[in-house]
Amino acid sequence: MKLKEGFVLRDVCGEQVIMGEGIGALDFGRLLCLNETAAFLWKKAGEQGDFSADSLTDALCAEYDVAHEQAIVDVNAIVDEWKKVGVVE
Amino acid sequence: MTARSYKVARHVFTLESDLNIDEGLKNYTPFAVPASESAPAVFTLRIVQFTSPIEYTEETRQDEEGQQIICGRTAGRQSVFEFTLTHKHAGTLVCDEGYKNSTLYLTDFAPRFGINNALMVLYALATAPLGTALFHSAVVEHGGYGYMFLGKSGTGKSTHARLWLENIENTTLLNDDNPVVRVLPEGIRVYGSPWSGKTPCYKDESHPLGGIVLLEQAPFNKIRALRGIEAYAAILTSISGKRWEKSIADALHVTENAIAMGARVWNLQCLPDADAARLCHEAIKVR
Repeated sequence: MKLKEGFVLRDVCGEQVIMGEGIGALDFGRLLCLNETAAFLWKKAGEQGDFSADSLTDALCAEYDVAHEQAIVDVNAIVDEWKKVGVVE
Repeated sequence: MTARSYKVARHVFTLESDLNIDEGLKNYTPFAVPASESAPAVFTLRIVQFTSPIEYTEETRQDEEGQQIICGRTAGRQSVFEFTLTHKHAGTLVCDEGYKNSTLYLTDFAPRFGINNALMVLYALATAPLGTALFHSAVVEHGGYGYMFLGKSGTGKSTHARLWLENIENTTLLNDDNPVVRVLPEGIRVYGSPWSGKTPCYKDESHPLGGIVLLEQAPFNKIRALRGIEAYAAILTSISGKRWEKSIADALHVTENAIAMGARVWNLQCLPDADAARLCHEAIKVR
């Protein structure tokens, strides 16, 4: 999957937030707050371009000292949330 | 070409035109500056007669109460804004990169509407990198401070401002629709402008920002302070811009963050009554 075009990660008053700014994302109409892990995964997903839960899990395990099984659970929860609100496709 | 220059919130812009548009420019009179003070201008707008359609590809459009702005680009990558009122064409604005030099092709249908819209678009975009934001808001002055009322269309911004004028002593209207806010080294200031919606209130005045209140209709009156991301979200939708152009979005974001962290921001759930104005005044007045 890919991050949908037009969604950007910004630092809003010290918090990591996804905003819809591009054409096609203008009707998003909300600010999506990310925790540290989710913000890291968002940046990695952007770098990878075409990413999967597996590729993000690998990235998470490479960066943080986290058990692989826990990483799978965390990544899937975050990616499911992104799918639900429609910021990935 | 006849050139006229105006200074709004300390940013100068210049109009050049041979058309007879004086009648459409009355709201700009308080902001006029002599040619000797016209440099450097943040942008220059040339206004000419519309003769033939301009070809462009639509990117997006916004529609509010019969007033429509269609945004797009020409094949040569110039930004285009087409203004229509009740679906009749008032004018088409074609801008160079950076919005420094633009041309408005004006029809005879609604020249004042076309000129005001073109200037508001240009002002918002040309001043975005300068810590400046054009707001959709009603603003009153009280005790030397400006208090801004924000909210979706039809929420009652003007009504709440009027309730302050009627119920809070020593209050005056600064602007009823489109004030300018600047983030300056000495603090955040709110300025009157030549754009004030249906209320003719075109004041070349400014005050330190006392507070921003996001209004919401409710069957009761209740006020609470907003901080951080909540404050940011409250002001975000009231600022004019072109978010899908990255340089504009980046610049506005810096200004919005500075306002969200530097200004006092509230959410007022309210009825359109005197008690709402009194409660609001008591909570937000600078002491």
